[in-house]
Amino acid sequence: MSEVRYTPRELLACVAARLINDGESVFVGTGLPLVGALLAHKMHAPQMMAIYEGGAIGAEPPVLPWSVADSLTFYKAPIILSMSSVFGHSRAGYADVGFLGGAQIDMYGNINATCIGDYDNPKVRLTGSGGANDIASLCDRVIFMGLHLPERFPEKCDYITTPGFLNGPGEREKAGLPGKGPWRVISHLGVMGFDEETCRMKLISCHPGVTPEIIQQFTGFEMIIPDDVEVTPEPTDEELRILRNEVDPNHLFCF
Amino acid sequence: MTHANERLFDHELAREWKLKKTRALVDKRMELKEAIARYVEDGDSLIETGFAYARGPLAAYWEIGRQKKKNLVGIYTPDGLNNIWHEFGGLEGCHVAYVGVEMRGLISPFRRGVEAGTLKIYSEWSHGGLALSLRAAEQGLNYVACKSMLGTDIIRSNPYIKVSEDPWTGEPVCLVPAMYPDVAIFHVHHADKYGNGRIWGLSVNDTAIAAAARKVIVTCERIVSTDDIRANPYQVVIPWYVVDAVCEVPFGAWPGDMPGMYYFDRPLQERVVRIDWKTPESTREWVEKYIYGTENHYEMICLAAEDHGMNVLDYIKSLERLSCAAAYQNIGTWGSGADVDWTYEEVAKRAI
Repeated sequence: MSEVRYTPRELLACVAARLINDGESVFVGTGLPLVGALLAHKMHAPQMMAIYEGGAIGAEPPVLPWSVADSLTFYKAPIILSMSSVFGHSRAGYADVGFLGGAQIDMYGNINATCIGDYDNPKVRLTGSGGANDIASLCDRVIFMGLHLPERFPEKCDYITTPGFLNGPGEREKAGLPGKGPWRVISHLGVMGFDEETCRMKLISCHPGVTPEIIQQFTGFEMIIPDDVEVTPEPTDEELRILRNEVDPNHLFCF
Repeated sequence: MTHANERLFDHELAREWKLKKTRALVDKRMELKEAIARYVEDGDSLIETGFAYARGPLAAYWEIGRQKKKNLVGIYTPDGLNNIWHEFGGLEGCHVAYVGVEMRGLISPFRRGVEAGTLKIYSEWSHGGLALSLRAAEQGLNYVACKSMLGTDIIRSNPYIKVSEDPWTGEPVCLVPAMYPDVAIFHVHHADKYGNGRIWGLSVNDTAIAAAARKVIVTCERIVSTDDIRANPYQVVIPWYVVDAVCEVPFGAWPGDMPGMYYFDRPLQERVVRIDWKTPESTREWVEKYIYGTENHYEMICLAAEDHGMNVLDYIKSLERLSCAAAYQNIGTWGSGADVDWTYEEVAKRAI
């Protein structure tokens, strides 16, 4: 049996970080995206421009902030705007990638952060949108990160807090939404994209040790599984070193 | 008396109120107790400022609990620790963009209230949508047309917003009306006695809220001279003429984050959210001990220091250190007088 080199959350963070290109602007949502974005910044994307909904742009947080509006999010930021301005700039075209988490994501990439069960009589009341709805509506493309379980990947979200492709092809445009919508979904099992024709979620790669069958078992809808599914490259020693020592030294998030 | 929701989008009512406010430079300093007693009335809508737990006026919120205000309507953009009062008769309902503490999780009292139907949610928002609603009030606009919330269930769970057509392009837009909360309480770094409030860091929605709200209380870490404010007006986010009361409340954002002065008390927040507020009974015990059982904010901080097994001075210094106060040394009068030998990076790595 091989040695356990990394935890599922560490893998998630490393895979997410790789999807960010140097020089891009990234609107960072709370939770796992904070970790992925900061890792990218410290690895291969020093020119990445982070936007936080609290109003900070272009900061260089020394370590993982605890909140998307705490004082670490504007450490060394050349400018601080307000909440409505950073969302306004996103609509204007200054936000390339929106980086989000959430409780549920469905086959069209819609995200639920509001309630489990019926809205008027919820089984679980969640946080509500925060900036998630705005990030997914206004940024050019959206990356979602979350744990992969059937109830977290349902055919249809109990409540659409944050728009993906809504009910399918052409729906985003019809609703008047500017961004291109969901682009990648990163779970602890694999990396997914979306089929151009049907707008449905499609498997791109399985993480090491995971098969497409396992992914399907942990998904509440029929995942499109093409013939050319790849294996996600493992986190490198360098990625893990920076993640553990510089991004999240006290294992707040990557445990 | 009308319901808070009937006042919330009433442009004329808000304007009439503001026409009556004094523009004179009047000394508005008072004790926090008095400010809350005078300006937070039962049934008022109360909007969150700062980013709730980052530069939020938490001392004022604890005092509202202590004074047992009734049937407030919360406006949560976002909210973390100020939604617990519904189990004590203090909160009737809320307008929600976000309630939670991010990676620390959900807030049990809020969940309980909504799941049991005892805490009403009047409207659902996105942060950007609610920010624009306040911005519209600040800019003197009846409404704004935006691209948030379209196509989602939020549109169906918010009776105040409408989807319409852009008259030029014909594309769908979401119309968001200007919002005028009854009360806003801000916590700032510095204020003068007239209410000019200066911050370091994120203003979030504060400039908009200041102009939108009818009644405004400013709490501050330090009262400074008006000369000091006039010498550096660039970071003033609250203008004096909107302000009704000014209260000097050092550590007024505790146990939240006050940029450059003190950082979250993380262990305390984790414990409160995950354990102390887990059940109605444990929440009541917590409120009895920390809110009803204390005379003011400082007694509460002393209790927290005791819980940490520290004397209060060491406790406060530890929070100051976590805030990386050294980074603020070159900003004129800024700084908390905390240990300055630390570099921001060193401190942050220990802290976080």
